[in-house]
Amino acid sequence: MRLFSKWELIGVGAAVLLMLVILPCLNAFTPESSWLHVSNFTITVYGKYLCYAMLAISVDLLWGYTGLLSLGQSLFFALGGYMMGMYLMRMIGDLGQYHQPIPDFLVFLGWSTLPAFWKPFSSLPFAMLMAIVLPGLLAGIFGYLAFRSRIRGVYFSILTQALTYAACLLFFRNSLLLGGNNGFTDFKFILGHDTREPATQRGLFVASGVALLLVYLFCKWLTTTKFGKVKRAIRDSENRVMFSGYSTANFKLFIFVLASLIASLAGVLYVPQVGIINPSEMSTDKSLEAVVWVAVGGRGTLVGPVIGAFAVNAMKSWATRAYPDLWLMFLGTMFIVVTIFMPKGIVGLPAQLKAVYQKMAQKNNAGFPVPVDAAVQPVKPE
Amino acid sequence: MKQSTKIYFTLLCGLLGMLTVSVAEDSAVRENLSRSILSEGAEQRQQVAALADTGSKLVHDVLVAWTRDNVFLVTTGAVKIPVLLEDLTDPNGKARAIVIADGKFLLDENKKELRFGPTELTAAETDSALRGVIQQTLDSLALADPNPDSRRNAILKLGNSHKLKNIAVLQTRLAKETDASVRRSINEAIAMLQLGDRDPKIQSAAAHQLAALKSIGSLDMVTALANNKSAAPEVVQAANQAIVKIDGHIGVVNFFGTIFRGLSLGSILLVVALGLAITFGLMGIINMAHGEMIAVGAYTTYVVQNIFGAGFAFSVNLPFTFFGHPLGFGLHLPGMNATGAFYESYFLFALPLSFMMAALVGLVLERTVIRFLYRRPLESLLATWGVSLVMQQLFRMVFGANNVQVSSPNWLQGHFTINDVLLGYNRVFVIAFAVLIVIGTWLLLTKTPLGLLIRAVMQNRDMAACMGVRTARVNMMTFAFGSGLAGLAGAFLSQIGNVGPSLGQSYIVDSFMTVVVGGVGSIVGTVYASAGIGTSDQILQQVTGSPVTGKIVVLVCIILFLQWKPGGLFSIRSRNLD
Amino acid sequence: MTQDPPTTKFVLTLEGVNKTFDGFKAISDLNFYMDKGELRTIIGPNGAGKSTMMDIITGRTRPDTGKVEFDFNTDLTTMNVPEINRLGIGRKFQTPSVYIHHTVFENLLLSLKGPRGVFQALFARTTSEQRDRIEAVLKTIGLTAKKDDLAGSLSHGQKQWLEIGMLLAQDPKLLLVDEPAAGMTDEETHKTGELLLSLEGKHSIIVIEHDMAFVRQIARKVTVLHQGHVLCEGTVDEVQNDERVKEVYLGRKKKN
Repeated sequence: MRLFSKWELIGVGAAVLLMLVILPCLNAFTPESSWLHVSNFTITVYGKYLCYAMLAISVDLLWGYTGLLSLGQSLFFALGGYMMGMYLMRMIGDLGQYHQPIPDFLVFLGWSTLPAFWKPFSSLPFAMLMAIVLPGLLAGIFGYLAFRSRIRGVYFSILTQALTYAACLLFFRNSLLLGGNNGFTDFKFILGHDTREPATQRGLFVASGVALLLVYLFCKWLTTTKFGKVKRAIRDSENRVMFSGYSTANFKLFIFVLASLIASLAGVLYVPQVGIINPSEMSTDKSLEAVVWVAVGGRGTLVGPVIGAFAVNAMKSWATRAYPDLWLMFLGTMFIVVTIFMPKGIVGLPAQLKAVYQKMAQKNNAGFPVPVDAAVQPVKPE
Repeated sequence: MKQSTKIYFTLLCGLLGMLTVSVAEDSAVRENLSRSILSEGAEQRQQVAALADTGSKLVHDVLVAWTRDNVFLVTTGAVKIPVLLEDLTDPNGKARAIVIADGKFLLDENKKELRFGPTELTAAETDSALRGVIQQTLDSLALADPNPDSRRNAILKLGNSHKLKNIAVLQTRLAKETDASVRRSINEAIAMLQLGDRDPKIQSAAAHQLAALKSIGSLDMVTALANNKSAAPEVVQAANQAIVKIDGHIGVVNFFGTIFRGLSLGSILLVVALGLAITFGLMGIINMAHGEMIAVGAYTTYVVQNIFGAGFAFSVNLPFTFFGHPLGFGLHLPGMNATGAFYESYFLFALPLSFMMAALVGLVLERTVIRFLYRRPLESLLATWGVSLVMQQLFRMVFGANNVQVSSPNWLQGHFTINDVLLGYNRVFVIAFAVLIVIGTWLLLTKTPLGLLIRAVMQNRDMAACMGVRTARVNMMTFAFGSGLAGLAGAFLSQIGNVGPSLGQSYIVDSFMTVVVGGVGSIVGTVYASAGIGTSDQILQQVTGSPVTGKIVVLVCIILFLQWKPGGLFSIRSRNLD
Repeated sequence: MTQDPPTTKFVLTLEGVNKTFDGFKAISDLNFYMDKGELRTIIGPNGAGKSTMMDIITGRTRPDTGKVEFDFNTDLTTMNVPEINRLGIGRKFQTPSVYIHHTVFENLLLSLKGPRGVFQALFARTTSEQRDRIEAVLKTIGLTAKKDDLAGSLSHGQKQWLEIGMLLAQDPKLLLVDEPAAGMTDEETHKTGELLLSLEGKHSIIVIEHDMAFVRQIARKVTVLHQGHVLCEGTVDEVQNDERVKEVYLGRKKKN
């Protein structure tokens, strides 16, 4: 099986060139007065979108490819973000408002020394390890229990939603010693570089781009393996897969853990770019928003989530400024319309329009034979 | 000083209004009052003390006025007449005088009402001995109040007075008192006073008595005694024992209090989950906007309340123009400015209206969105989440981002007290009504032709359609009914919680889990599950004092439970494979 | 004519099996024995417990009591669906269940006997031996020409065959086939019958069927289930002339 179709190759190549080469160069090497100049603000915003795109891929890996609508991706995203945030908090050193060697909020809570579990986070490798272990472990345990008892469909959605909701409430508490509802902010340094420097932001932007590309390629590869085929088979007929000797629970568990790690990676890169992480990133609404990106872009494809993440967030940036009161209405309405009328999202729009066109053509030329669309889905047995 | 006198004066005169109305008041009491004001010395003190047993409000008011120099003596010839001045003054600052002896206005020879300024008259004098007696009389008077609650308050005040001489007053009352709860309070108050006795034996006995009475009100005093360095050791010991006992009792009271609050919130959840069991369990629709249906109900109650009051209006300006005209929408509902019992009855109108409003919104939602999504549960989840966002934003635009104030009608304020546990009427009402709704819904679904239709359509839509059932209509009605139940829950919620735009959000996760555990498609299962989980979740939240611990414990339990019974409590198992 | 005495080595043994759903006794004291290589047909009215029996054999449902053994000593009651399948018990569902978004070839590839682990699936390569095997199955089920079509585009009958092919690709010792002829044309039904007969001897096969014409075509030994236990066993003629069977079916035996 060929990894890429021709158009996909051109599209992805162009996007990679734009994101990884042109934008950073225009930001670094053109004077601010030039019309070609890309502002630091744009770089940060696009860097954020790149992380969102990764999050969207993780949602799609579960929803589009395996039929598991997880409303817990924001939890794993935020967990990764928090691990990175803990490292960044340690890097502030005593430059905080209280000029103590521990994070400000701990001083505020009456701590004078660092709690033990904070100590190893001065090391970036340790923080990164935790960003893998913690979400992986949580997804592993939850997934094991959920898939073992064959929880699927809406039940899975509801339970992941509940999990996220509970975790979100937990992180809002000050006694967790992770900053309560303010979370972490006012970061200063990452690996010795000032996080507010344009060069640092550019570096993070490129890192996010590379990470997205790698995630994309990995998932692309995954779909071509037998594993990917089993995964899609599970979506179509889980019974058949089980009665073919595959432990679907293991396959789902693997993909769930993998998706949680991708979401965590997105969170890790997201936090130093936006400069803040707090429990609201964890709320179920954020998960649902990520699902919107996938639905709008087109689920069951890998390009779709990326397109969706960029399109919806660009629209959000515009709408929150132009119509701050109405933004949620836009989002909500868009979601209703897309779900009902565009089940395949932007990516599926051409095929949908083509079908409409053919139908019209058929009406106009009665008797003219129209090829049966092979992709017409038969009703899925439930 | 002048200012404060004036305030007292007005207050007093307010009371006088009542005085003049209740002329039928025992004239003997009036005579005695009048006489006691005019007499002097020991005789006067005796007469005043004798007024204590009347329990009369009039005596109380006059005595209070007396101590504040608001009882005046009008001298006509050799006769002195004790009077009070009315609060209505003429332009010269003069007021009519009310004769204490008969409650009538003081007239001159020409039967014309006399008017005086306060400075023109001599106040009836009081010395410290008399004031002491008056105060005692006032205390005893309060103890004789016909209302047991007022009596208890007065007793409690005496108990906290630290004045040993009040023991005598209390004991006198105890001999006459018949109400068991008041007798208990008197004993409590006496014991509290006895804590201050010099005799360690009495002190110890008092502490034991308070322990036996589990007197929460005395905890501070007992604690003070236990910490008192000069107290005898056995007294300290008794006090410490009492503290342990009372603390334990406080714990029990708080525990049951929180369980009761948990129950009332849980019973609201029951109604919410019941609606969800119908839309999700029976119809297979995941309605993420179900929470907003609760808010619709709660806001309807708010609007109805305002219509009974000053009216309700809003206007929203959209940031768009149409050929230069700014776009927006608004509504003005005139208020009925109702008062009294009619105003208090607003909630009775709000209940059916909030059901109907939510049902109406549900109907519209079903026709515009849901009907495209039968058989696509995941998609229904996403589309209705969109609806939920739109509705929340609408609430913010119309009602503002902050919570709105919904006041409980009088008849839902107040509480029962069972063994120091307060059971608010509003919460008792909510629990009782929730049970009624559940029974009603169950009867509707199982015993009526409509219920039969609903169940038929939900079990096999195609087959029902083939049998001539108008499935579209049944879908519509069922969804509207489920939404209406949520609206009803919202009306209840407005009585015991805050009403704001994101009201529904806190309930939606809980109610979904309830339905999952109950077993989708099973009404009975949902009822059991919400009674079990919903309530225990709320109780855990209350008992542990944090919504987190409760939520997490419940979530973990649910996941473990589903290991054991994946289909939920009452799963409708199909024997066929696909 | 009721029960075979348990003397030989059976491929499948069910003894004293009971299963109750919400008070409904789906299977009651069921005893069922089957020889290696046998083609057995099970008939019975609706609710006789045919599907539940399949569920119990394949591990989808656990029996309340009783013994279920495969290859005369493997206890099936403690195993889950994939484990039982890997022992060599394949099952075809009543309604065709194939992977509609995969091609016919991929459908068979996923069903081929072989390792079933997650990581093995990640790094699996399709060998030429596997291709040959798939071609052979395609030929058996007559779908060679459709091998690169999406399974979703196949006709109902073709999906049924594909599913049987997927079973064959697993090379199972025991095949459970639930109403293979449901919804097929007469011609397709006949072809299906021939397909099943051609497998006799190589595999042990249990076929559940309502269509008596089809049963007559394929049946060697017929077991009649009624109210969760075996009513009688024998040849088609023996069974059809059995008074109890006539009574149970109330004339339905002449169906089709």
